Amino acid sequence: MMKPFDHVDANSAARAAALLGEGNQAAPSRPEDRPVRLIAGGTDLLTVMKDDIVSPQTLVNIKTVPDLDRIQFDVATGLHLGPLVSLTDLEHDTLINDRYTALAQAAHLSASPQLRNMATIGGNLLQQSRCWYYRGPFHCWLKGGDECYAREGENKYHAILDQGQCITVNPSDPAQALIAFDATLHILGPSAQRDLKVEQFFINPTPQRRALNQLDDDELITAITLPTPPPDTHSVYLKMMDRQTWGFALVSVAARITWDGDRIARADIIMGGVAPTPYRATIAEQEITGRSRSDLHSGLADRAAHKAMRDAHPLEHNAYKAPLGAALIKRALLAL
Amino acid sequence: MVKVLKTKIEIEGRVHEEVVVIDGELPAPWDSKAELTIVGQPVPRVDGAERVTGQARYTSDIQLPGLLHARILRSPHPHARIKYVDISAAEALPGVRAVICRDSTAPIKWHRSSFVFDSTLRYVGDEIAAVAADSLEIASDALRLIKVEYEVLPHITDEQHANDEASPPVWVDEPRNVIGGEPEVYKRGDVDKAFKDADFVVQATFRTPTALHNCLETHGSVAQWEGDNLTIWDSTQHIFGVRQRVAERLGLALNKVRVIKHYMGGGFGSKNGAGKYTVIAALLARKAGRPVKLMLNRMEENLVTGNRDSTVQHIAGAVKKDGTLLALKLVCYANSGAYGGGGMPIAGPVQEMYRCANVYTESWSLYTNLGRDSAFRAPGFVEGNFALESLMDMMAEKVKLDPLEFRKKNYAERAPKDNLPYSSKGLRQAYERGADIIGWHSRAWADRPAVDPKNPDIRRGYGMASQVWGGGGGPPAHAIIKVNADGTADVITGTQDIGTGTKTVLSQVAAEAMGFRFEDVRVHVGDTSLGVYAPLSAGSMTVPSMSPAVQMAALDVHKQLLAIAAEVLEVKSARLELKGSVISQGKGKKSITVKELIGGLSDYMVVGQGLRGPNDNSYAINTFGCQFAEVEVDTATGQVRVLRLVAIHESGRVINPMTITSQLYGGVTQGMGYGLMEHRVVDHRSGIVLNPNLTDYKIPTALDVPLEIVGEMIDLPDTIATTTGAKGIGEPPIVPTAPAIANAIYDACGVRVFQAPISPDVLLDALQRRDQPMVVEQPAAAELAPVSQKEE
Repeated sequence: MMKPFDHVDANSAARAAALLGEGNQAAPSRPEDRPVRLIAGGTDLLTVMKDDIVSPQTLVNIKTVPDLDRIQFDVATGLHLGPLVSLTDLEHDTLINDRYTALAQAAHLSASPQLRNMATIGGNLLQQSRCWYYRGPFHCWLKGGDECYAREGENKYHAILDQGQCITVNPSDPAQALIAFDATLHILGPSAQRDLKVEQFFINPTPQRRALNQLDDDELITAITLPTPPPDTHSVYLKMMDRQTWGFALVSVAARITWDGDRIARADIIMGGVAPTPYRATIAEQEITGRSRSDLHSGLADRAAHKAMRDAHPLEHNAYKAPLGAALIKRALLAL
Repeated sequence: MVKVLKTKIEIEGRVHEEVVVIDGELPAPWDSKAELTIVGQPVPRVDGAERVTGQARYTSDIQLPGLLHARILRSPHPHARIKYVDISAAEALPGVRAVICRDSTAPIKWHRSSFVFDSTLRYVGDEIAAVAADSLEIASDALRLIKVEYEVLPHITDEQHANDEASPPVWVDEPRNVIGGEPEVYKRGDVDKAFKDADFVVQATFRTPTALHNCLETHGSVAQWEGDNLTIWDSTQHIFGVRQRVAERLGLALNKVRVIKHYMGGGFGSKNGAGKYTVIAALLARKAGRPVKLMLNRMEENLVTGNRDSTVQHIAGAVKKDGTLLALKLVCYANSGAYGGGGMPIAGPVQEMYRCANVYTESWSLYTNLGRDSAFRAPGFVEGNFALESLMDMMAEKVKLDPLEFRKKNYAERAPKDNLPYSSKGLRQAYERGADIIGWHSRAWADRPAVDPKNPDIRRGYGMASQVWGGGGGPPAHAIIKVNADGTADVITGTQDIGTGTKTVLSQVAAEAMGFRFEDVRVHVGDTSLGVYAPLSAGSMTVPSMSPAVQMAALDVHKQLLAIAAEVLEVKSARLELKGSVISQGKGKKSITVKELIGGLSDYMVVGQGLRGPNDNSYAINTFGCQFAEVEVDTATGQVRVLRLVAIHESGRVINPMTITSQLYGGVTQGMGYGLMEHRVVDHRSGIVLNPNLTDYKIPTALDVPLEIVGEMIDLPDTIATTTGAKGIGEPPIVPTAPAIANAIYDACGVRVFQAPISPDVLLDALQRRDQPMVVEQPAAAELAPVSQKEE
């Protein structure tokens, strides 16, 4: 059960950043120790508060900031998403379904309808690790401890690629789709604003920064923008769970292809559930770029998919993720 | 005339002897020719409206003036000794009304040599102290203020090593962690010779998971003292059992303790008696001088309230070329946790399902530093049937017989264990009906073309499995009926409706036997002070125990009313008929309603009494069934979809087709969860359960249940089992589901999976190994040696 905290409404993004800046001035060594946190949908924050992973003194509510839940599109400038856009809105938006199909699909395949109604896209990108050692009563490496308990423990949900000292995977589904569409985050701090590609935003935690992303203690996401995809761009998001719904990805793939006639002009293949960050299957992208549709359907998709998983280093309980990842990449490519 | 007899009854796969006192005339059985008008009808639940409109009050809904809220401090260590507990800071917190722990209460005995608050903690979740406060938040804050110093002890959580010499004992007086000190052994015939004589021997090792009940309403109690009278609202399957245990532990007379349970959100065997939380709620309420509510949270629900034991089962079958089953052998190990009773009848299906002259079973129940085992919808049989029914398909393939034909060839005409005739057995009819519905005989077999030519990864397959279980119920079970001045009747019994439709079914039986209109009958259950004794609602025994008792009380009322009517109408009672709440003398003659009759008697109250008679121990009383599954397997992703699940069962007479079909759907859904996704995961190094929540412990969602479930009963009044002809159905439908699905998966993709749940990772691993030369006769670690001596 949660410890007591203050709840403050912010009326502007700048006010929220100022409150974060003042409250988190002491720059705690662990992200978990930030005394001031933002709350939007709260679907992840409340779970870590209830489990005593974080115990903030103050929650700054940003649902009271006007216009942060807007979806806007203009062919010239692309798609603008406010950080408070709900996953339900993403899932049902006609334009997003049409032009950014994988993003709508990723939103649809996230969580459950009840959670999607509350959950925001900004909060979704900022989710904490779902590793059961992180969530459980373990002083694990990501929480500032000395050991990653999953490495020698129960690791069927953990990373097979890019394993660092922490082998969690990032729980977000939309992240993969946003990266495939080259999305940029607009981030506001108390004194400055900066832009960061979503792909750069996610990091493999380091000893100095034991976190899944680059957001600082005093910053918030104010917008997510996606360029307008070129004509003849198609995308898909495939996700495998251990039941039909309400599960994090065992493995997921966001694939996007821009065709130039019969040729693949550009390919983006971003995987979830396999690494501490969304994982770009560069080898597979290179393998298929410039090739034809008929190549793709006569063995190329399969070869590229298997090459993508070549570098996998499975642990005791997650060897299945490599063939599963290959199967999803292949299936995604053949669907485009 | 009173008779005192002994009779055998079966509860949860175990047979006990009970004394039964017979007073009065037992009903003449309703056989298949009985003309029944209310029994057998699909009557909607009598309390359906209360439930769906939120008016039904569950234990967690109880509000009382001055009610306090309680929480329990639990062990963070799988094995530790408490050096000291300091509750002073918690007691000093404003709003805290009572704190109790080992040092502040008289020791109350619990399991084995332990106490409610014990100095040794034997699993993560063991009780240390408890707080009652003005709010749940204050109680939670108080828990953080309790200081405990531990001496951490070595622990063992893995059943595969619990019996090792090097493993620490959970109980000092049981050094090898074997419950009862030795395995339970059963044998018949000459197994060794049969294995030598066999044309084929098929053996395998199966593993099944620890499954959690995850009752929607968690376990919990509300306790209120009035002087030295204690009232407990408890989410329980046995109000009289809770009364007995609480009275015993607190040193109270039985009539000082009243236990009430009107509605319950799921039990499945985990609520068969009082929990520590019940006693703790009573202790806190006494200390605080105010009523206390103590409902467990989801994590506690999944750590401390019991579970289906995980098992390792080494099983072997010997078979002749013609498909005759010669012998079965099973050596199994079950993880019973720290406070488990062990002895789950995992070997039950091997011993009882098929005609097989030579059987050897050896069942080990092992203590570990984990939450205890408990009954869970057909305990033992669900675990054991997964192994047996998978093995049956492996043997059928070996002798080149259709799996259904192979089972029919080894059909047990008499109960194999006791060599007794069955009171009834409708399994053959169930096989035929199920095969017809699923299209078993017209299905395409191996090498059938891919479902979708564009996606050869998707394969379809069919599988089936059988089921035997008890469910005959038995005495003691009582009921009384009062007829009111307006001609309505109150049926009163101390049974409980645990969400299965008991009130509805007993209303039908009472109305039928009395000759009343259904709407004139109301059934009252769930209160030990007002009701007469009834057994626990477990072991599929509520209907077969209670329906005859209610039937007898109703016939008593029927007889009394006719006698009174005969006096009033001045005719012989034998010439009168009571039906639809009207007493008539035949055509053209004066009739009188029950209301008119009783209304003229100045509040005279007709009271009927009934009880459950003895079981006929010259018969085996069982329930049977079979299930057929059609599945679609995505061999590239390991995803399994159950397209159709046909469940055909026989449990005597069907009293209410609607409530019985609900049981079939529920059992199938829970069985599918067991077969495909449910699995408690333990980190053995730390002894900590990693998924005691509904996020990481996966239960089926509405999207996961089979796309189509067909549930049907073979309606076969069993008048040897009970005078209503009914047997129980609560548990049977979960028993064959998981192996039916596993067999269908094998049919679909040619891969035998030797463990449940068959989650995508497990199936993908098995599919990856498919190309290796592993064939059905040589699964990993097949030798029937004790686990601890086995190298893996």
